[in-house]
Amino acid sequence: MSYTCGLLPVLDQSDDHQYEMSEYEGARARWCPGCGDHSVLTAVQRLLAAEQLIPEQTMMVSGIGCSSRFPHYMKTYGFHGLHGRALPVATGIKLHRPELDVFVTMGDGDCTSIGAGHWVHAIRYNLNMVAMMLDNGIYGLTKNQTSPTTPQGFKSNTQPFGSILPPLNPIEVALGITNASFVAQTAEWVPSHLYATLRAAYKHKGFSFVRVLQRCPVFTPAIFQKAVQDPTRINLLVHDDGVVTPDLDRIYQTQTQHDPSDLAAARALAEQTDRINLGVFYKDPSKPRYEETRRVTPRTPAERVALLEKEFARYAV
Amino acid sequence: MPSDPRVAAALAALAKPIAEFRASVHGALQQADSFVAAHSATATARAAGAAVGLGKFADMHIDAGKFAALFPASQPAAPDAMAALERAIKVLRAVTAQGDALFVAKVTAGKKLGATIDAALADAGAAFGAIVIAELVRGGRYNAADHARLLDPSEFRAWNRAERRFAPPLVVEVDGADLYAGALLDFVDGREKIVLVVRGAAPPAPLVRCVTPGTYVLQTVDGADLEKVAGFEGPAIAALVPQGAATFAHNPSAGNETWQRLSVTFLPPLPTKAVGGFSAWQMGEDVKMLADLARTPFAVPGAPGAKSAPAIGANDAVDRLASWLLDASGVSGTN
Amino acid sequence: MPAPSATAAPAPPKVLRVPEHTVEIVSDSGEGAQKCGQIFGAVSAKMGNGVWTVELIPAEIQPPPRVPEGASGNRIRVGEHPVTNWGDRTHLVIAFNEQVLLARHRVDALADDAILLVEDKWARSDDPDIVAAWNAAMKELSGKHYRIVPVAMEDECLTIVDNPKKGKNMFALGLLARIYGRDMELIKQQIAHAFRKKSEEVYAQNVALLELGFHWAEDNIDIRVEIPTHPSTKPQVVMNGNEAIGMGCIASGMELCAMYPITPATSVSHYLSEVFEKFGGMVHQAEDEIAAVGVAIGASYAGKVAFTVTSGPGMALKTEFLGYAIMTETPLVLVNVQRGGPSTGLPTKVEQSDLLASIFGQTGDAPHIVMAPATIEECFHIMITARRLAETFRTLVMVLTDANLATGVTPYDKPTLDEKWQAAPLDLAPVREGQKAYDWNKETGLSERIIPGRPGGMFTLTGLSHDDRSKVAYSSDIHQHSSAMRSRKLAVLQSLLTPPTVYGDEKGDLLVVGWGSTKGAIEEAVDRARKDGLKVSALQLRFLSPLEPGLKEIFKKFKKVMTVEINYSDDMGDPYVTEENRRRGQLSILLRNATLVDVDCWGRVPGEPLRPMSILEAIRGRLPRGGAA
Repeated sequence: MSYTCGLLPVLDQSDDHQYEMSEYEGARARWCPGCGDHSVLTAVQRLLAAEQLIPEQTMMVSGIGCSSRFPHYMKTYGFHGLHGRALPVATGIKLHRPELDVFVTMGDGDCTSIGAGHWVHAIRYNLNMVAMMLDNGIYGLTKNQTSPTTPQGFKSNTQPFGSILPPLNPIEVALGITNASFVAQTAEWVPSHLYATLRAAYKHKGFSFVRVLQRCPVFTPAIFQKAVQDPTRINLLVHDDGVVTPDLDRIYQTQTQHDPSDLAAARALAEQTDRINLGVFYKDPSKPRYEETRRVTPRTPAERVALLEKEFARYAV
Repeated sequence: MPSDPRVAAALAALAKPIAEFRASVHGALQQADSFVAAHSATATARAAGAAVGLGKFADMHIDAGKFAALFPASQPAAPDAMAALERAIKVLRAVTAQGDALFVAKVTAGKKLGATIDAALADAGAAFGAIVIAELVRGGRYNAADHARLLDPSEFRAWNRAERRFAPPLVVEVDGADLYAGALLDFVDGREKIVLVVRGAAPPAPLVRCVTPGTYVLQTVDGADLEKVAGFEGPAIAALVPQGAATFAHNPSAGNETWQRLSVTFLPPLPTKAVGGFSAWQMGEDVKMLADLARTPFAVPGAPGAKSAPAIGANDAVDRLASWLLDASGVSGTN
Repeated sequence: MPAPSATAAPAPPKVLRVPEHTVEIVSDSGEGAQKCGQIFGAVSAKMGNGVWTVELIPAEIQPPPRVPEGASGNRIRVGEHPVTNWGDRTHLVIAFNEQVLLARHRVDALADDAILLVEDKWARSDDPDIVAAWNAAMKELSGKHYRIVPVAMEDECLTIVDNPKKGKNMFALGLLARIYGRDMELIKQQIAHAFRKKSEEVYAQNVALLELGFHWAEDNIDIRVEIPTHPSTKPQVVMNGNEAIGMGCIASGMELCAMYPITPATSVSHYLSEVFEKFGGMVHQAEDEIAAVGVAIGASYAGKVAFTVTSGPGMALKTEFLGYAIMTETPLVLVNVQRGGPSTGLPTKVEQSDLLASIFGQTGDAPHIVMAPATIEECFHIMITARRLAETFRTLVMVLTDANLATGVTPYDKPTLDEKWQAAPLDLAPVREGQKAYDWNKETGLSERIIPGRPGGMFTLTGLSHDDRSKVAYSSDIHQHSSAMRSRKLAVLQSLLTPPTVYGDEKGDLLVVGWGSTKGAIEEAVDRARKDGLKVSALQLRFLSPLEPGLKEIFKKFKKVMTVEINYSDDMGDPYVTEENRRRGQLSILLRNATLVDVDCWGRVPGEPLRPMSILEAIRGRLPRGGAA
């Protein structure tokens, strides 16, 4: 683990510098018009500005897929990695540089299919970072293949007669993993909820898993059609410890008071299939975090050499 | 130097944050040194340096001279920048040479607690200035008009966010009579860790005034839990208090309500005599405040996952606390 | 049924004065033969002998008792002078049952006149099957001129302990101590060290068993072996190659080892897990091989070079990420402790079959550095160089060792440590005006790396084709240029390398070229050949990618050049095999390509280190008239 001061950013920009949202903007986003990724990008940029995160001490990590272009559109440090492997990379970064703020963007194929093993273990490690799964229920970049979260019966290029298996429920999976510390769900078409959820995820100390429900305007434009048109199909989980969005009260009148510390209730909510629950399902800031349990005392080169001499003494002939 | 064995114990508990601060300073010093060396070295010296760096395996296989020549020395910095760098190096060396003394301060006669801490941290502040200057010079961005002042000692309140995060921990020896805890609130920021070693007669619950939602606060007689102070990622204040004072811990991650976060292991009787400038009434208010903050609300909704509320009478300390409260507030028993 | 050979008589012992001797202790797994062997090796080294110890490891954790496949133990070659390899055949064996002895006999591990001390309680068993097995084994062994000495080990041990299963190894150690005249005080010190976590009582009991064995040999065994000792004047350390890798990693200032368990690489992380945190580092055991390399790359990207350690199947899984490290010019050190392949292959056994996969195994054009230490000492020192080259050349550095180095134990000069071996602290200074993610020097392809935290340097690393600002770019010019920049770095490194030194004369009839752990055995074979008047020299390569320079010039001075490798190659004369379709040794393919010299090859995949005598045989086979002078 490295310890560094990283003093200059604040100095360079002088203490009272206020980062504007535009200072977090990278290349112009090239997602399709109407893609939910745009909303998430805006929400993240807004969050960074609100929290005044220092751009050079912020890390965007992604895998491969449409949503994994995310880092290119941010003006922070970015790591556009391999398909399914965003989480191991983020783990390495956070372990070695715990002072960096780390955000991970994955798609549904990235996170729940090819990278599912890493997903399970990243939740277990519980390193302090925000992991967003941008879930549009389809492989978009490779043009319309079934993903684990594709609704059953949905026709794609690989399952033209309809998706064969019932979709995986990522929230249920996440809640089932030992040491899960933050599990939330939000939707791209409810921007203020999206923002509030990401903010809660950032504020949480630990691995914050956020599933963002999205539509792919090209391949799955209609998967959440009913919920988009009929707000009563959406149930907001509200709690002072989770997400509160008073501005949505008028539109989304179906609400449940849910204490995010109640795991059993969270699991019961996750199992509901008749409506879409948005909000923080579960939160426990007391779960051990890997970067803390693995924290080591740094050594200077001279100290290392002295210790290594002792080590060699153990092996002396 | 530690006159009091408790100072050594406090330093031992803070070993990790101390090592982290030292590693930052040492790292900056090493970078600065090698920058200066790279600018003054001859080709031969650079080849020799490369040979050492490549290790013994490379001796037979890699031409260190050619290796070094691959990386010509970058343009030397301007003379005023190099001079500033030399000064910065001097400051960093002085800080490294100080050893544990850097992390210990003593409140002496006529000085106040806050001023003592400020003075002690100012040394560290100078180190931060030196680090920044070293980095600016290496990055070719040093500008005397804007940056020369960085080597002046600066007070904690003038530090920026990043500096506060890397502020060194501090052990402060203080007489009980001088323990004006309100002054400590100025330093509750970043990851600052302050451990007070309290000598002589002291108010029984001075640190209750430092209990704020994000701050780890600890009063202890035997030093138990000091490691938790060191390991806490936010600001933390602890006091090694004399026997007879209150002992309690306020752990911000233990819950949302103050009573969930605060655990009182010993609550002393209300003081009857003044200590220094503290009147008995004033100190009694602190004790009452502690009891009040720790009081379990009588109707606690059973919140699964949360720390369950201790039942009245569950143990001695709580029992005493409860009965004392009932006495003091005149509320008749509800159970 | 009496034992087939005469029992030891209390006649005056026969003293054998030899420059070297090879000893084995074999047992069922879990009977402690390895501890006995380790102590014997360590004490011999302390007394001033050259020592090379290898572990004999069965593939299963708990194989059934008394089966040849379960043979487990140590093989210790002790010499007057430094010993560089495991040697040829074993001269003296202590076996806890006749089946494990049979296993060694069947793999031709034993010298024709070897002395075999074997537990004989099996001959007296109540179980007729066991007795029959004993008899069959004795018959099979009688084909050679072995001298079999039955020893009632268990009966003897029972005189002082209840459970001889746990003490036989110390009795055996006592036998060896007497036969080889080892220093009993040193042995006791080693026992105390080995059992430091146990009670005083355990130590005392082990010492009692040791002395029992010592006195039993005094009275009953008429063989004494004397190997002159030359205590070293320089301080020495003794360890296996994996421990040396672990220590080298610490000495190089690396702070993260990310790994997933795989034989025979795991013991690097066992060692590091025990001590690394003291040094401000950590071992992260990842959820799989892919995650392990991903974590290492993430950490390397964010700061100091990290490393991952694996073996063949694990390296295969890491392939995609290795390509990523190369494409994004993220420094990374990977240690591949090679085992037999392909696929799961021979997990515990040595092979050098991953050479081409290491160099060429990534998809696309993926130039990177591949090096191989030739000795256990080099396992330590190579890590410092590897870390440094990874950082300087911004690329993947692979270090290829193998099960021979990983489990071999030998003393070497204690390194003189230097602080400057260690990685510099993280540089978080703001980037220079206009500095790019890949500021390629057009000549060399080298560039300065920017790590997160450096103001003004923000960019997004990507495995997609990119320009010097790390912007995704699919244009043909950019892909051609960036490919050239990544490739150029290897040419630059090669320009820094010095031509390798020939072992023996610089010209002659045959040059034997090897790489990695075969150095000791090859040079020993060449020494013997030269003693016989053959004009043979040897060359051991450490850099495989890029190759060391000047090879063609060196090869020109020999009539014939042949590689010796522990990987499979067709032999000329095999059915269907022609000059054209012959599948050649992996190094020879590289050398032929680089030099256009008709390099021959000789390779074997015996699942054990090459023996000098088989190399000698191969040398003779390549010379006119079988090398007859």
